[in-house]
Amino acid sequence: MTIIARRLAGHLARGLVMILVVATISFFIVNNIPGDPMAARYEKLIEQGMSPEAAAQGVKVLYGFLPTGTLWEQYTDYMSGLVRLDLGVSVSRPGTPVLDVLGEAAKWTVLPVLAGTLLSFLVGIMLGVYAAIKRTGKLGDALAISGSLLHGIPQYVLAMLLVVIFATLIPILPADGPVDILFEPGFNAGYIGSLIEHAVLPVATYALSAYGGWILAMKSSVVTVLGDDFILAAELRGMKRSIIFRYIARNAILPLFTILALSLGLLLGGAVFIEKIFNYPGLGLLLISSINDRDYALMGGAFLLITVAVIVANIVADLFYAVIDPRVRSGEEAG
Amino acid sequence: MSATLLPETTSTSATMRRNFWLGVWRVMRRKPSRMVGVVILVGFVLTAVFGPLLYPEHLPSNADAISRPPSWEHWFGTDPQGRDVLALVITGSRYVLLSAGVTAFITVVLGTAIGLFSGFKRGRWDTVLMRITDMKLTIPSLPLLLVLATVWKFGNPIQMGLVLGLFGWGGVARAVRAQTLSLRERGFIEAARGLGLSTRHIIGKELLPSMAPYIAMNMLIAVTGAVYAQVGLFFLGVLPYESDNWGVMLNLAVFQAGAMITPYALGYLLAPLLAILLLTLGIVLVVDAMDEIFNPRLREE
Repeated sequence: MTIIARRLAGHLARGLVMILVVATISFFIVNNIPGDPMAARYEKLIEQGMSPEAAAQGVKVLYGFLPTGTLWEQYTDYMSGLVRLDLGVSVSRPGTPVLDVLGEAAKWTVLPVLAGTLLSFLVGIMLGVYAAIKRTGKLGDALAISGSLLHGIPQYVLAMLLVVIFATLIPILPADGPVDILFEPGFNAGYIGSLIEHAVLPVATYALSAYGGWILAMKSSVVTVLGDDFILAAELRGMKRSIIFRYIARNAILPLFTILALSLGLLLGGAVFIEKIFNYPGLGLLLISSINDRDYALMGGAFLLITVAVIVANIVADLFYAVIDPRVRSGEEAG
Repeated sequence: MSATLLPETTSTSATMRRNFWLGVWRVMRRKPSRMVGVVILVGFVLTAVFGPLLYPEHLPSNADAISRPPSWEHWFGTDPQGRDVLALVITGSRYVLLSAGVTAFITVVLGTAIGLFSGFKRGRWDTVLMRITDMKLTIPSLPLLLVLATVWKFGNPIQMGLVLGLFGWGGVARAVRAQTLSLRERGFIEAARGLGLSTRHIIGKELLPSMAPYIAMNMLIAVTGAVYAQVGLFFLGVLPYESDNWGVMLNLAVFQAGAMITPYALGYLLAPLLAILLLTLGIVLVVDAMDEIFNPRLREE
């Protein structure tokens, strides 16, 4: 247990440093945006008929800080706001705190990504074992090639192909937005059915684009395990095939949990494409619209939250790995 | 590095090289699909170099042929300005491949240098460099690129390649370091060190040649990611439309011509998609072959 606690402490420290770095990056980017967004905002408010004083006040409320004082003062101001979870106010949704906008969007990103990841993990692992055992056969070869190809195809190409096939040419699935607006939100069959129907294509894209990676990883992991002595010993002792199979699968799955972290991170980072294509109101779509709306407080917040989500996914997957791998549990520190 | 070129090393490295190319040829011949991969990649390079020469610098718009479906005259139809879609794909390939080339160069130089240094020196520098690498690998690069696009316009393919290269060396550095760690314990490196050969000689003459295919493979993987990222950035519409490339085409097809709503503009959408798919296929097939050249255990005789 102490080993795991120590790993957690190390991860948390590293995660905090990374969040600090990312926050600093986004501060300097927002600070260096050409064309001075605050001046633009000020002009716009004047155009809308505000007095100069009221417009200046409005800009200050929206951005949280005015570009006065030294860079260091602005930086510490921004950072202390972050610590208090004060990310400013959204410009494109007047008066709404950035944190609230992010919280609303987060669920539209996290749930489909998790569903897609779990689905592809299960299918990919089962097919990966098969591809490894039959690796000299035609079907094993085909599985491996399908894995390489799906792994190689960019997510957005996959998403657009799915839309073209299932929404344009054979219109059986919706591809626009997360739900039909004609249903009353809440726990009723129509609304939930519509939610699921709209989630099919995005989740399928996440799953398909991750599945290739799982097949390949599981295949190579199983091939490594196949050469281990204990499998040979089990075969020599005349153990049943199904038991040997379970030995193989259990030992081959372990290294894959580290990839789970990478895969979750990749999908969360790549959610931008899927959400743009399916018009899904998650963090990625929020990031793009905040860039197009020049809503820089929201942009910085969305970027920060996506990064934090990726960091957390990494930590969780690594701890999970530590909990289930007896070699780590017994205290062997690797590298 | 050329200072250490001694006659006897050239002859041994020449045989090594010949054996290597023989191995390459054997691996290639076993599965014709791999040759296909090479042919596809060469085809793309030729298209990017010579393709745009076949067309005027600005493709003429034709008011009489707006958004036409595919026909013999226009294989993938025309865009809403009446320009031939196939011509757009061909002229657009130059941006994509040129920036990919710049990315490849920077990725390899930075990744190999950092990976080699880290793996060979070990110690404190290794720890620091790998922490930085891990950090780079963890921060999701697409959102970071999107945010960066607000301050930097990636105006030309070389700038784009430069930025993507600076973002993309992490994976190569990790792979090269792992490979260095395993190679440095092998007999021939230890012998070289025992003989008192300089670090530069060991790295340049002993380590690098045996790692070249591995580096090339990881570079191709990194470049694939970079190609997707740049096409994707244009597709998302956060970059200016000035340049001709597949990402701009995808964006216009989907968000202006409505290619995902009506089958009408489908050719406009499918042409760049097919180009990306074909490029992917070529890279996957070549990486597959390289994997086997590098890792003889995968060969199933």
